[in-house]
Amino acid sequence: MGSAGLLLAPLAGLHSCAPGSRRSHIRGSMHGANHATGHLLRDPARLPDPTRTEAVEVLIVGGGVAGLTARRELERQGLQPGQVLLVELDEQPGGNSRAGHNGVSAYPWGAHYLPVPDPRNHELLAFLRDAGVITGTDAASDLPIYNEYYLCHDLEERLFIKGHWQNGLVPELGVPPAEKEQIARFFALIEELRQTVGTDGRDAFVIPLEASSQDEQFRRLDEQPFAAWLDEQGFTSPHLRWYFDYSCRDDYGATAAQVSAWAGLHYFAARKGRAHNANGADVLTWPAGNGFLVEQLRRQAQSSIRPDTVAFALHQTPTGLAVDCYDVATKQTTRVTARQVLMATPLFITERLLAGLPAAAHRPLPVHRVPWVVVNLTVEGLPQGPGQPLSWDNVLYGTDSVGYVDAGHQSLSQTDAGARVVTWYRPLSDASPEAARRQAYQTSYDEWVRQALAELETAHHGLTAQVLRADVWVWGHGMVAPTPGFLWGGARAAAARPWQNQLFFAHTDLSGISIFEEGFAQGQRAAREVQAARRPTPA
Amino acid sequence: MDKVPVRRVRRKASGSPSAAAALPAAPLDYRPTLLLGSVFVIATCGLIYELIAGTLASYLLGDSVLQFSTIIGAYLFAMGIGSWLSRYLGGSLLRWFIQLEILVGLVGGFSAPLLFLLFEHVSSFRLILYSLVGLTGILVGLEIPLLMRILENRFEFKDLVSRVFTFDYIGALLASLVFPLVLVPQLGLIRTSLLCGALNVVVAGIALYRFPETRPFRRSLGGALAASLLALAVTFGYAGQLQAYTEGLAFQDQVIYTKTTPYQRLVLTKNQRELRLFLNGNLQFSSADEYRYHEALVHPAMQALPKARRVLVLGGGDGLAVRELLKYPQLEHIDLVDLDPGMTRLFQQNQMLLELNQRALLNPKVRVTNADAYQWIRQDTSRYDCIIVDFPDPGNYSIGKLYSAAFYRALEQRLAPGGWAVVQSTSPYVARRSFWCVAHTLEAAGFTTLPYHAYVPSFGEWGFILAGRNSHWRPDAGPLPPGLRYVTPATIRDMRFFPPDMSEVPTEINQLNNQALVRYFEEDWGPYAH
Ligand SMILES: Cc1cc2nc3c(=O)[nH]c(=O)nc-3n(C[C@H](O)[C@H](O)[C@H](O)COP(=O)(O)OP(=O)(O)OC[C@H]3O[C@@H](n4cnc5c(N)ncnc54)[C@H](O)[C@@H]3O)c2cc1C
Repeated sequence: MGSAGLLLAPLAGLHSCAPGSRRSHIRGSMHGANHATGHLLRDPARLPDPTRTEAVEVLIVGGGVAGLTARRELERQGLQPGQVLLVELDEQPGGNSRAGHNGVSAYPWGAHYLPVPDPRNHELLAFLRDAGVITGTDAASDLPIYNEYYLCHDLEERLFIKGHWQNGLVPELGVPPAEKEQIARFFALIEELRQTVGTDGRDAFVIPLEASSQDEQFRRLDEQPFAAWLDEQGFTSPHLRWYFDYSCRDDYGATAAQVSAWAGLHYFAARKGRAHNANGADVLTWPAGNGFLVEQLRRQAQSSIRPDTVAFALHQTPTGLAVDCYDVATKQTTRVTARQVLMATPLFITERLLAGLPAAAHRPLPVHRVPWVVVNLTVEGLPQGPGQPLSWDNVLYGTDSVGYVDAGHQSLSQTDAGARVVTWYRPLSDASPEAARRQAYQTSYDEWVRQALAELETAHHGLTAQVLRADVWVWGHGMVAPTPGFLWGGARAAAARPWQNQLFFAHTDLSGISIFEEGFAQGQRAAREVQAARRPTPA
Repeated sequence: MDKVPVRRVRRKASGSPSAAAALPAAPLDYRPTLLLGSVFVIATCGLIYELIAGTLASYLLGDSVLQFSTIIGAYLFAMGIGSWLSRYLGGSLLRWFIQLEILVGLVGGFSAPLLFLLFEHVSSFRLILYSLVGLTGILVGLEIPLLMRILENRFEFKDLVSRVFTFDYIGALLASLVFPLVLVPQLGLIRTSLLCGALNVVVAGIALYRFPETRPFRRSLGGALAASLLALAVTFGYAGQLQAYTEGLAFQDQVIYTKTTPYQRLVLTKNQRELRLFLNGNLQFSSADEYRYHEALVHPAMQALPKARRVLVLGGGDGLAVRELLKYPQLEHIDLVDLDPGMTRLFQQNQMLLELNQRALLNPKVRVTNADAYQWIRQDTSRYDCIIVDFPDPGNYSIGKLYSAAFYRALEQRLAPGGWAVVQSTSPYVARRSFWCVAHTLEAAGFTTLPYHAYVPSFGEWGFILAGRNSHWRPDAGPLPPGLRYVTPATIRDMRFFPPDMSEVPTEINQLNNQALVRYFEEDWGPYAH
């Protein structure tokens, strides 16, 4: 592979694995754990005082999915590109949905797919249409037609269980009949819940979750852990319980015992995607994962995005708010005044930035945020075990990770046997988030690579020797987990409310469920609120 | 496989048998007889190893006369070396003999499985073959001189020589009869080789347990003996799998060219009648009847397009479809896109293949591009009057993408208004659902289709689908080029008819996100795979 040399060329500044080990040839980058820029926020007092000022109409802090969506929506509602500014701490926008690339492939660093959406989610569909993800509408059914290159190609999922790759992720191979019967009963129940409508006429479970029924009989489910509810319902099959834990960890980073029953059921019953050429079980994916969607969001608006810029303090001014923004490159601080500030940052950061504002502006919502580690392995080849061939999503039964996705899956090329990038995900959900985070920050590059390979070697013997490069990202604050009471306890809704027509909030933390659709819905809502605040109220 | 009669000449031992009168053997000592019996076994096995090597060499490398004579020459010469070396063996001759038999059993016994397995995976197969032949020859050459020295005191010299060589030659006769008549047909080469190995080890065992002077080393040699016997027996048990595995790799005819490119393994074989090309072990064409396939692929579309100027060929790196296209002088430009430069280069350089494709790929009208067809048609911006799609069968998920509705929609962008595309679509007889799935997928992508099929003896019934958009087609729209051997207006009309055992069946559409075709294909062809 000619690309191997290309890949391994810039070795300077890279981490390497332990000499003398079987991994000693492996090099790569490590991000997140010691993120210098993020750490500036720990001690804002040490940052320089502003030397410049700048005025905009609307300032967006944070360029994740929520912030980028708000930026796009504000322009769609009539703001001029020059009136909006977005500051982003990282060198490029995207947040948890950002992507990387090397000589072999683009690959996700976090979010990597979007399920085919519910056609009633009109705003999301409009975005997807503008992005070329939806290419038309079928005249007869009025359903969207998705771009086939973006619908996940066949051989979508496989599970390594009992030494064999089976099709699909619900365990089947060697599962006793009594357990199979429970599995069937569970999915029948989910099918029913998917159709269920509350007394208010709304679906029991829907995405975005704000549109779900307010009916007490469903909301009550938020008060108890999913695992307790499963016990009550007699879903005790070990294989099924593994599958629930896998699913909850995959989407929320937390186990079935940690998330609420409402959230657990929402995962299964809220996907109601329909399309002319796909259904709710299908997903959209790209080599760069949701980095593709981030790029589309970015392109659909013109206003400035200022990367490498850390917002670190908010102040009140006579005409609105001022935000001190530190430019990592020039090491200077600019005070940006804005009539409206939209905080599209995780709540623990938002809280720090608001320290200088009156108590009423604060958002003291405790969020259970699970750290994640993501390892992108560039491999020369992937030695396969028996059973279904390499698929898009590949999960190993009973392991600590939630498996890996193949970034090359959507490739149309015939040269499939060669080098590829696979992205391995592991939520650190066994300890408390704080302990797990501390532990994660202390873990070395070599140790993460060792753990990932030790696990993958069980299904791919000889993989270590085939690794060309391993890049690690430790997401210390990962994403929010919908612990019992978080979704419908009331505090969450209160935390999202704007303050004094000046300060607005959008982030998946405020949804309690961290998925693209929720980030998008957050950005849409906040942009609408900003617009409403800017319009003179009819007397 | 042709067999060459082998005349066997066993070199005389160069040891120095004592001419002194032997002591009369004790009347009840059956042991010399036992040893003479083993001469018989040794001789039979020794010749069989030689026959196996010769057969394998002509089987795998072709040209049996040359292979057989050089193998026999090398083998006999190695035996000579062995005989000469025997003089250096001293001390307990019986011990040497037992060790030697175990070694012959292992080397000879595993020779066939080893050679079969290595053939596909090593670059210098001949080196390995001759090394193994040499080693076996040396070991076998040691046997008889050694035995004669062991027996030298028990017989008079003239008796000794006459008896040993009598058994030796009878063994040879037996071997040359049972090898072709019983062993190969009943057991196959791999099991035969293992069986002979086991017999050599058994000879070692008899010597070990029947002669009291072996007591001091019975233990150590007994272990080695048992382990060798076990290894041979276990391999014998798995011989079926080994055979199935290696047979897929071996070819009936003489292999005249092999190359492993990053994409596939090309093997070209030849016999008196035909050249055959195999890609990854699958027959791609036989020169004896490929004209049927390529005429059927090209002419039904081209005769409908008398005004065609530009043609695109996807796949077809052998240039045989292009050869047919060049029979239309009005064509100005042919683009051929094939993934594998190893393939197109072979068909631009090899003399025999240049004769076959009539130097089609060197024609100035033809532009050869080595690229991934899917990427290529998405990037290309021109239009073609005719597009010939000649991909490998949809046997895996990445090739399956080249048969998807999405691919055909992209293909349609490259087709000029009124033009025709034609798609090779596997066998409508063997893989009926696969064939109709391709047709339905083309229809789902917006094409009008005209399925047809032709009989190609090497392949059986083969299917093609014409796909057009607002295009008109008649079986006799334009003149056919002169000199065709298969396609005429009448043939074209016949090809359109599908008897009930191949007629249309309902199928799914092959989409990137369901890969329905690969599944049909696996199921349809499954019963035919061995
Ligand atoms: C490992 C992992 C895998 C995931 N996989 C999926 C998936 O497959 N599908 C899916 O839908 N979702 C997935 N998610 C969920 C993902 O979090 C959401 O899809 C979405 O990206 C969240 O967007 P957001 O805008 O709410 O938040 P964030 O991504 O947290 O965005 C916040 C942004 O604010 C910036 N910022 C923070 N502080 C400051 C500051 N002081 N000044 C300036 N900027 C600042 C950050 O750098 C960041 O860009 C995954 C998450 C993780 C961690």
